[in-house]
Amino acid sequence: MGRKIIDIPLGSQHISLLEPIKFRFACENEKIVDVSSDVGFVHRGIEKACTTKFAYDAVPYVVARICGLCAITHSLAYTTAAESLLEGVVTRRAKYLRMLLVELDRIHSHMLCLSHTAENAGFEAMFMRIMGDRESVMDIQERITGNRVQFDYVSIGGVNRDITTDIEKEIRKTLAFIREKTHGYLEEFTTNWSLSLKFKGVGVLTLDEAYRYNAIGPLARAAGLATDVRSETDYLPYNEIGYEMRVGEGGDIYSRNIVRLFEILNSITMCENILGGLPEGEIQTKMKGKPTGEALVRLEAPRGELMYYIRGEGKAMLSRVRIKTPTFASIPAFIEVFKGSEYADAPAILASFDPCMSCTAK
Amino acid sequence: MWYSVKKAFTNLLSPPQTIDYPATPIKRVERYRGLIEYGEEHCIYCLKCEKACPPGAILFTHTDTPTENPKNKKSLAYDYNPHLCIYCGECVRACPKPNEALWQSEKKPGIGVKEDRVNERWFEVEGRKGS
Amino acid sequence: MKKIETTLESVVSDLTAFYDYKVWEFLTLNGVAIDEGTTEIQWIFSRYGAIDDVVIYYAPVKNSETVPSVVDLIPSAIISQREIVDMFGITVENSEKGLYLDEDSLSAPLATCRI
Repeated sequence: MGRKIIDIPLGSQHISLLEPIKFRFACENEKIVDVSSDVGFVHRGIEKACTTKFAYDAVPYVVARICGLCAITHSLAYTTAAESLLEGVVTRRAKYLRMLLVELDRIHSHMLCLSHTAENAGFEAMFMRIMGDRESVMDIQERITGNRVQFDYVSIGGVNRDITTDIEKEIRKTLAFIREKTHGYLEEFTTNWSLSLKFKGVGVLTLDEAYRYNAIGPLARAAGLATDVRSETDYLPYNEIGYEMRVGEGGDIYSRNIVRLFEILNSITMCENILGGLPEGEIQTKMKGKPTGEALVRLEAPRGELMYYIRGEGKAMLSRVRIKTPTFASIPAFIEVFKGSEYADAPAILASFDPCMSCTAK
Repeated sequence: MWYSVKKAFTNLLSPPQTIDYPATPIKRVERYRGLIEYGEEHCIYCLKCEKACPPGAILFTHTDTPTENPKNKKSLAYDYNPHLCIYCGECVRACPKPNEALWQSEKKPGIGVKEDRVNERWFEVEGRKGS
Repeated sequence: MKKIETTLESVVSDLTAFYDYKVWEFLTLNGVAIDEGTTEIQWIFSRYGAIDDVVIYYAPVKNSETVPSVVDLIPSAIISQREIVDMFGITVENSEKGLYLDEDSLSAPLATCRI
């Protein structure tokens, strides 16, 4: 009798999925031997809308609606690109406030991912606890921007709101609370067998595969590939606020969790440094003119590298907006990780990638 | 592992994360981004807010019964759709007289029900604008 | 940002000579509609660990031409090749339609030039 290969789908609706994505696994017994993916379930044509329906100064608000979790990174990457075409200079205070929001966004996005990883290990209580603690980060974001999810905080020329001493105090309090909690999670994720032993050696992406398939973000850093756009660009002064790259080893789910936990701790430190050294000045500078030329901006979103390419012809509408989202670029790497894994591990592996389908299909 | 066990027992005695809604009201933060409000008597009809609004939720259309504001030379009327608005505040930042002619309040919009003809009314406004 | 012009015939050999997978990260494949019937295809790379070192290889493509696939060299290019096929309605070797768009959707939404 020859080898029997069975096709098993995961998605587009599945209990472990937050958003629609479909994988079709070709399995031999329990082992996955081949994978095909379908990612376009939530395609909304945002790239087209940005060039036909909305003028360049309204686009930051359009691209923010690609994804709720990464709203701030999308609008920030776009505005940075547009500002470079308009040749405007943003004040240092505005840059610091932008970094503050991006880092807060990273903290709560990583917490969401960790909670889902815990849930997929069968550890429901941990999921509830992390999600409960995550709410405090959302609260301070609401205090800063006036809204809980859609921040609409960054606009061309700077940021829309300033922070007051009251808010600063509240942020410091919440950051201290989250730091204490994160140390607790670190303890839990390294010593609790459901989260440590169970995840070691599962869903491995080797360093060579990470290079070959251009893995990005925590997925790459967990495999030992030292790439982070925060250290590869200079329009946001990350070197001034104590950014440290954390590179893991092993490239398995466990390693990805640990990288994310340390990134949360680093982001907390960075937020505190931002508050400590917040420069004085205006938060908005007026920018005039119409975007002409082309610009390419990369920004480290919570899930990895986000790239915006825009081209303007001196008119109110841009002629091209290209958005490369982190999950979209990582899908070939995802597929590589699935090959050779057990089918039963697939939901846990998928959750550890922290996929964002709204970003992918845009 | 012991940390988890300890945590499991302390969790039994800790209060829940959720609030007792609707008995306990939801805490509304200060400077919450709410409805855009308009003070007609201070408006100078520069139409900057209309131009700045990303979704086009503010429209000035021609009317036969204009207000008595001397600045309103083209007999325009202000229309605002709270259900289209994204509450970003671009219009207030564009306004030459913020806090007098246009400001962002902390009020919430009402629920858009069929009886209010939310959509139909707005399509009529947009139709007037287009013609 | 450095832009290097190439042609469809020479792109595979150019990229083979250029691309070292431990030095360059392949960002994405991009298309820009130039005028009716012509699209500029860009292969975008960035250097690991260097500040803003981005290299773009680009080639103008007529809609009747077939773009060669670079998947043998850069495996992760497959997903962006499929996106370009959907969005611009051009043909790329070994890249099938249907990543985002269904059979009955509008075809090639980004192909029309607005300038």
